[in-house]
Amino acid sequence: MEEIKGAIALIGYGLAAIGPGIGIGIVVGNAIQAMARQPEAATVARTTMFLGIAFTEALALIGFVLFFIA
Amino acid sequence: MDVLILASEECDTAKEIICAPTNVIELFEFKHALFSIGPLDFTRTVILIFLAMFIVLALLFFAFRKPKIVPGKFGVVMESLVSFVREDVAKGTIGPEGSKYAPYLLAMFLFILVGNLFELTPFINFPLTSRMAIPLMLSLFTWLIFVFVGFSHGGLHYLTGIIWPKSVPIGLRWLVGLIEFVSTFILRPITLAVRLFANLVAGHLMLTLLLASGWLFFASVGDIGVRAAIGLPWFLFGLLIFVFEFVVAVLQAYIFTLLTAVYIQTSVHPEH
Repeated sequence: MEEIKGAIALIGYGLAAIGPGIGIGIVVGNAIQAMARQPEAATVARTTMFLGIAFTEALALIGFVLFFIA
Repeated sequence: MDVLILASEECDTAKEIICAPTNVIELFEFKHALFSIGPLDFTRTVILIFLAMFIVLALLFFAFRKPKIVPGKFGVVMESLVSFVREDVAKGTIGPEGSKYAPYLLAMFLFILVGNLFELTPFINFPLTSRMAIPLMLSLFTWLIFVFVGFSHGGLHYLTGIIWPKSVPIGLRWLVGLIEFVSTFILRPITLAVRLFANLVAGHLMLTLLLASGWLFFASVGDIGVRAAIGLPWFLFGLLIFVFEFVVAVLQAYIFTLLTAVYIQTSVHPEH
């Protein structure tokens, strides 16, 4: 088990990146839609988009950190 | 990058092209103290912390030492930075009383921005915030402030509002309360710190690996001949990432400040 430790951590990081990848896609896609429909509300949409990205991205980054810890 | 170059100088490019540092942590660790004052060791990281502090102080001092009605170019940039943090981040998120927290947010934003941009500064090439101690310290300050603000605004209602939310059906209240409690008091500071830290670690690693491997191929042109051209795409890709990392550095400073403001806002106005 010890020899393939690195490979397991890599797979773990890959799995951790799937969900946030989809999530950030949904967040940004919907934010762009909102900005295109209501350009006057673009500032609010952009701030909220960055917030949503930040919350979603955290999961992938925790996976990234665990990759080095494991 | 210095460590990788040091490691690569020991490796014999005539025999094998792949050279790697023995441990990836070496890229972030500077154990060797440059000088010491009593029990305090001044490593490269500590000096960079003070350098970032002095840069922020100098920027603010020279921009606002003699306020003019029509500021110069430098003054305009600094004024727009300050008004961005004050109007957009602080007042835009927290509300009218947000200007009270603007100094804290501005100090945090500028320090993180300078620390992040060290990643791209020639001859420094080390993001200050890629050492966990620094983002963790900043996020613990944020944690202290939003907990203190929550208790001073709502008293004990702040705590009961989190662990016993009135807007949730009674059967689910304990579960939602538990999740809210853990996410507010434990996960918030951790994710705030880890987000900044991991972004900068990833950026530093990518830049180091791409640019240093390009450099390595060029440097070993005498040993491997025309095959050194493999280094060119790596180097160009590294330059692309360099531009991308600039965006990441600014964006992460902004996100850290924005999330701090959002957390303070949830303490000032609970139930929203």
